[in-house]
Amino acid sequence: MFQLATEIISLKDVSFTYKGSKRKALNGISMSVLEGECVAVLGPTGSGKSTLACIMNGTVPCFVEGELAGDVTVDGLHPREAGTAHMASRVGLVFGDPDTQLFGMTVEEDVAFGPANLGLSYEEIMRRVTRCINDMRLTGLEKRAPHRLSGGQKQATAIAGVYAMLPKIMVLDEPTSMLDPEGKAKVFSIVRALKEELGVTVILIEQEVDDIISLADRVFVMSAGSFALSGTPAEVFSEPEKLRKAGVRVPHVVEFGQLIGASSVPFSTEDVIQTIETGTWSMAAPPRDPVAGQPVGAVSEAGIEPARSASDPDPLPDPAVGEPVIEVKDLHFQYPSGAKALDGVYLTIRRGEFVAIVGQNGAGKTTLTRHLNGLLRPTSGEIRVLGRPTEGVPTTELCAHVGYVFQNPDEQLFCTTVAEELGFGPANLGVAPKIISARVEALLSDIGLAKYSDVWPKYLSKGERQRLALAAVVAMDPEVLIVDEPTTGLDWLESRQILDYLERLWRQQGKTIIIITHDMNIVSLYARRVVVMANGKVVGDGTPQQVFSQPELMAVACLRRPAIAEITDALWGEVLLTPAAAAARLYQRTSSHAEVDQS
Amino acid sequence: MIVEYESKPTFVHRLDPRVKLVWMVCVILVSVAWTHPLYLAALGLSVVAFGLVAKTPWAKLKGVASFMLVVAAIICLIQGATYSVNSVTLRDPERVLFHLVPGWVPGVNPLIPVRVGGFVYGIAMSLKIFIVLLAVAIFGYATSPSEMVQVIARIPFIPYQVGFVLSTAWKFVPVVQVQMRTLMDAHRSRGVDFEQGTFPQRVKKTSAIVLPLFANSLTMADTMALAMEARAFGHSKRFTFIRPYTMSTGDWAVLIASLGVAIACIVLMVTSRLGAI
Repeated sequence: MFQLATEIISLKDVSFTYKGSKRKALNGISMSVLEGECVAVLGPTGSGKSTLACIMNGTVPCFVEGELAGDVTVDGLHPREAGTAHMASRVGLVFGDPDTQLFGMTVEEDVAFGPANLGLSYEEIMRRVTRCINDMRLTGLEKRAPHRLSGGQKQATAIAGVYAMLPKIMVLDEPTSMLDPEGKAKVFSIVRALKEELGVTVILIEQEVDDIISLADRVFVMSAGSFALSGTPAEVFSEPEKLRKAGVRVPHVVEFGQLIGASSVPFSTEDVIQTIETGTWSMAAPPRDPVAGQPVGAVSEAGIEPARSASDPDPLPDPAVGEPVIEVKDLHFQYPSGAKALDGVYLTIRRGEFVAIVGQNGAGKTTLTRHLNGLLRPTSGEIRVLGRPTEGVPTTELCAHVGYVFQNPDEQLFCTTVAEELGFGPANLGVAPKIISARVEALLSDIGLAKYSDVWPKYLSKGERQRLALAAVVAMDPEVLIVDEPTTGLDWLESRQILDYLERLWRQQGKTIIIITHDMNIVSLYARRVVVMANGKVVGDGTPQQVFSQPELMAVACLRRPAIAEITDALWGEVLLTPAAAAARLYQRTSSHAEVDQS
Repeated sequence: MIVEYESKPTFVHRLDPRVKLVWMVCVILVSVAWTHPLYLAALGLSVVAFGLVAKTPWAKLKGVASFMLVVAAIICLIQGATYSVNSVTLRDPERVLFHLVPGWVPGVNPLIPVRVGGFVYGIAMSLKIFIVLLAVAIFGYATSPSEMVQVIARIPFIPYQVGFVLSTAWKFVPVVQVQMRTLMDAHRSRGVDFEQGTFPQRVKKTSAIVLPLFANSLTMADTMALAMEARAFGHSKRFTFIRPYTMSTGDWAVLIASLGVAIACIVLMVTSRLGAI
């Protein structure tokens, strides 16, 4: 056990206001971190997490200007006075997007970048490079160009580059936000190694609560520039209501524990299974959905409880599935570079389906969906949209039927106001100005951006920009809506807003929805069908339950099923998708056992 | 770069970057000095041979080559029609090859004569451009940007930041290209047809991607600057990650051959007009 020792970070009543802003990004926060601790910082976007990270190495306010009040001491220095360059060898800062923090032409050069900036000798730099590449499990990739690495390898390189400066403290600002499940697993294993093997003090800003719960020594939850909650994981996750209020997703294991009245807060699937097996829980009445606040009714055979959405607690039933709207037959695609991206894909999607396409990076998900509105053309094979072959039909025509929302909102917002952005697509399709005005007005209200109609989209938050990008495509009224990674870089609340909106479009307007996602929690909550891709092929297709019931399939696609699916599969040999559904099933099972015992 | 760097196990790739740089500079100097197409063609063949040793992906040069052929044709016609050569090798440089406005057009007298001297000089000019482009392409394809940074870092009085800025800009080009393609795809997905309309309309449509491209690049540059700051960029006045290069026999051979041939060619050109038209 690593012995906790002296205080290494001390923040006393720290406030910060960015230059030109009236709102305090940090509002009188105080925290103390001991050497060797792993501290997780949670909270929604805009709550001040990144500002907190930048204060620790002095980039705020030395590089990013603003007004800083209070006392900040890091490893015996005041970062503001010491300066970022001096702090860099004490505090390493890793950001979420690896592409903007890799500077070398090879992995080796990138790792050498920091030590070289410190003016170390060539021999010392190479010693550190070799050590860090080894510690971060990058051996064999030394001469590889960073842009040719996988997402997880890129982020590992970024961490190695910072770690090569041998800082005592590593601050990781949402290091897994852009990664697929395999990349996330790699980064979390590195964080664990930093903490347990290398004795580095780690400040981990994250949205992935399921992984943090077993990794962090202490957890701070931020909300509007302040700490809404802080303490050990046991203390913080014992307050699920406060977590929800702060905009943080409650881990499945904790939520399930709360629903079944577990005697102590479970932190892992093993804890939950032990709780059930030892009977240290009590559920007197059918569980109530903690989000919708409604009783969870009988669980269907499919394992889906009816009320799942906070914004739509009384939803319409699932729309009926109709005729095929997308048909893909023996689709092959090879990029000009020679890389084979699709290798004989067969897929039929019917009207009214809500489909999630999943798989690790490079599996061919985006390449496949870009064929559906003609952005890419098959090397061989056939695609039909609404029964018509797409060959020879331009994207400008297909987009009226198949809407495509790209992953990064900033790459698809090009107008000078929000309202103009919404009217852009319909105007190109020749929709009458009166109809466009009506659609724009309705959409502004639907996505909660009515008050920003005249604002430049760039000024909106990431979540708002993502909603706008989605609505800008919805404005064209396509029958099929493809949304590529709708939740990347968003917090849980923003993610739910986007998905709830898609669900409304699906239920109320009968749209066919196709999402590409790595987030299995999103899949389990919203998708009715899951298409699994690997190596340019469809390797699995079924309901979320069917797909999550096949661990081998999940392994082939490098995916990890939600914790609750693991638990229910281990306990009862059936996969359920939400803690509420699992709690209801437990209640049903114990009630029926009690009836049998009585009779 | 004309051709992106590729790591391959060839003799040229293994050469010291300084030697490759000297080779490229020598080729450029000789191509500038010579004006006779046959000599230039020989130089061009030597460059092609160097490229063959480096396993240059010639297919990637197809686009540039086709464009350059058009440029070469224009240069030859303009030079042939306008330039009067004082040649030491051509027998009759003033002889008319053909007219730009031919005599067989009814009611029109032949106009704008294209003369042998100017036309041949045009061929020489075009060959010079081809050779320079080819040499730069082979150098860029066989020399990694990091090797170039290493070369720049060795030049006294040039701050190492210059090399870093160059390599970062190098890396940035494909990133911006990808962004541009995505922005255009996003436009297409919302009904914009870049191929339709008059030329001004197409320019207007394409220019619509400039603002988001610029804004995104600035945001990216901002984040990069923050990440660089966090890794102490600029903290030290000197760049200490300088690899110890050792010159191999092959390096010395190429270096001596390049310098020797270049000096001999230029001296002979200056003293006895060898290589002049």
